[in-house]
Amino acid sequence: MSTLVRATRAQPVHLVVLALIAIVFALGMSTSDRFATPLNIANVQDQMVTLAIVALAQTIVILSGGIDLSYAGALSFLAVVFAALAGDSGGTLLLAMAVVIALGVGIGIVNGAITAYVGVHPLITTLGTSTILAGAALLITRQPSGSVPLFFEDLTYGRIGAVPFGMLFVIALYLLVGFMLWRTGFGTRIFAIGDNEAASAVSGLPVRRTKVAIYALSGLLCAVAAMHMTGRFGVGDPRAGVGFDLRSITPVIVGGTLLAGGKGGVLGTALAVILLALLANVLNFMNVSSFYQWIAEGVIIIAAVSFFIGKDKS
Amino acid sequence: MTATDTNAPATPNRNTVRATERRELLLLVGFLVVIWAVTTALSPRFLTPANLKDILIQAAPLGFVVIGQMIVIIVRGLDLSVASIMATVAVLSTSLIDVTPVIFAVGLLLGALIGALNGYLVAYRKVTPFLATLATMIVLQGIRFAYTKGAPGGALPETFRWLATGDIFGIPVALIALAIVAFAAHWMLERSVFGRLLKLYGDSPDAAYMTGAPTRLLVVMAFVISGVMAAIAGLFLVGYVGIVDNWTGRGYELDSIAAAVIGGAALSGGKGSVPGSLLAALILVSLFNIVVILGLSIELQLVIKGTLIILAAAVYMKRSQN
Repeated sequence: MSTLVRATRAQPVHLVVLALIAIVFALGMSTSDRFATPLNIANVQDQMVTLAIVALAQTIVILSGGIDLSYAGALSFLAVVFAALAGDSGGTLLLAMAVVIALGVGIGIVNGAITAYVGVHPLITTLGTSTILAGAALLITRQPSGSVPLFFEDLTYGRIGAVPFGMLFVIALYLLVGFMLWRTGFGTRIFAIGDNEAASAVSGLPVRRTKVAIYALSGLLCAVAAMHMTGRFGVGDPRAGVGFDLRSITPVIVGGTLLAGGKGGVLGTALAVILLALLANVLNFMNVSSFYQWIAEGVIIIAAVSFFIGKDKS
Repeated sequence: MTATDTNAPATPNRNTVRATERRELLLLVGFLVVIWAVTTALSPRFLTPANLKDILIQAAPLGFVVIGQMIVIIVRGLDLSVASIMATVAVLSTSLIDVTPVIFAVGLLLGALIGALNGYLVAYRKVTPFLATLATMIVLQGIRFAYTKGAPGGALPETFRWLATGDIFGIPVALIALAIVAFAAHWMLERSVFGRLLKLYGDSPDAAYMTGAPTRLLVVMAFVISGVMAAIAGLFLVGYVGIVDNWTGRGYELDSIAAAVIGGAALSGGKGSVPGSLLAALILVSLFNIVVILGLSIELQLVIKGTLIILAAAVYMKRSQN
């Protein structure tokens, strides 16, 4: 067990979130017969794919002591561009993918460069780029428009049993990023910068370049999320990303990653995404309006943060 | 902190700070004059008394919010809940009663309470301001939607609407209110012990603690001020629009942070001024008006606003490094 715990970087907070997942699951089972069906479980997974990907990106950025609020604008912008270019053939789809990924990485590089080289607080930088991109998305089209090839749309709806392809993809991404964080020099640098930026710079780490790479990676993941989302919608929605800036932060924090950086990981984020998605689903079954779900989400944030503060002191 | 203090050895330093602040203010004024001049040259409909009055009235709610936001930023905080406070206060207080003074009293009290909760979480529970106010924002959102079941309504009393849209001797009431609040806030920040302690805390929490000042209370007070400012703004905004909406003030949290930063506040704390914040708010609102007047696509103002936020922050960053 302890080997397993070490290998997965499991922490007490993960067990707490896991226990909460179990409670919510039990609650769901007792609420409705339709809850624990393959169809519903697949639905829950489908609904969490976008959030799972942007929360993963946010985890990396927050671990480094930064924050990325550009997803709201970036998701919308990339979705619109993707749907405008994807056309209806494999060739145009590949082109659209290449362009969107390049744009996503480009957005990240701009965020990283302004933050790392000019020294603007990442909150302001990414708020600025998000505003610009939200405007750009609406300048391209005010209504949802464009299209994606039908086979791509089918792909985003595809399932193996109760597991959507999108979920398999998300699991692969989490494993990849987890490996990157704990087994590569880049990952070590992310933790080091998040833990103590000044000390990292003094010890000769390329802090600025690493930061640019972190935001570029965040932009890349955002592009991936935008493409999946557009595949699901079938069109490019210029408001697709609204709300994802702040929503992406909740699972990271609930999963035990410190907003100050340096501590945390992707396992916590994954569990928190599952918890939040299940909670929303169960509350729907219980006919609790989304209004109360917001209250629940806010209380969970406060509870999670207070929990960690207790941990820090002990 | 009395007259003798102004002659203390620290004076040259403070004077250079003041000089820098004055230059930054001039820069903002210059920018505002330029965009106004360009628009006037392009369209005769811009520089009319009626349009200018519109801009000023529309800028008033953001003006209140940015004063509060800026004060929170001075103590190294951030208030993401201001827009949610605006809507919640507007929805709750107008639905409870239709006597204007009572609406305002209830609204301000609510704003103060929510601000106190934010401040308590930040100062006493050591929750990051970002997270504390994010949580408050979401909880308030849930509470007011649950309270209104998604559809707020109800007529607003005449006097209430007059406060937001009417004028005294041609000067809009909302602007008179903002001017009074702004002068009070400016005096407090620049002249009062409380204001100096806020800035000292922003510069160095330890130094503020060493003075024996109740630093936690200081932070709570900053959030209370922000909550009250947001409450006033919410009431004026629904009065101006004429309809109470669950999303009243949507976007003001980020706009107010942007205006505070463009106006010279630093997220690292200790810096910020009332005139700068108000000028920046006026610039943001002008941009929106200009885009409409020139018949440009409204979305363009988002692009300009975003660029402006980054540029302003970059300019201040470069200056503080030199």
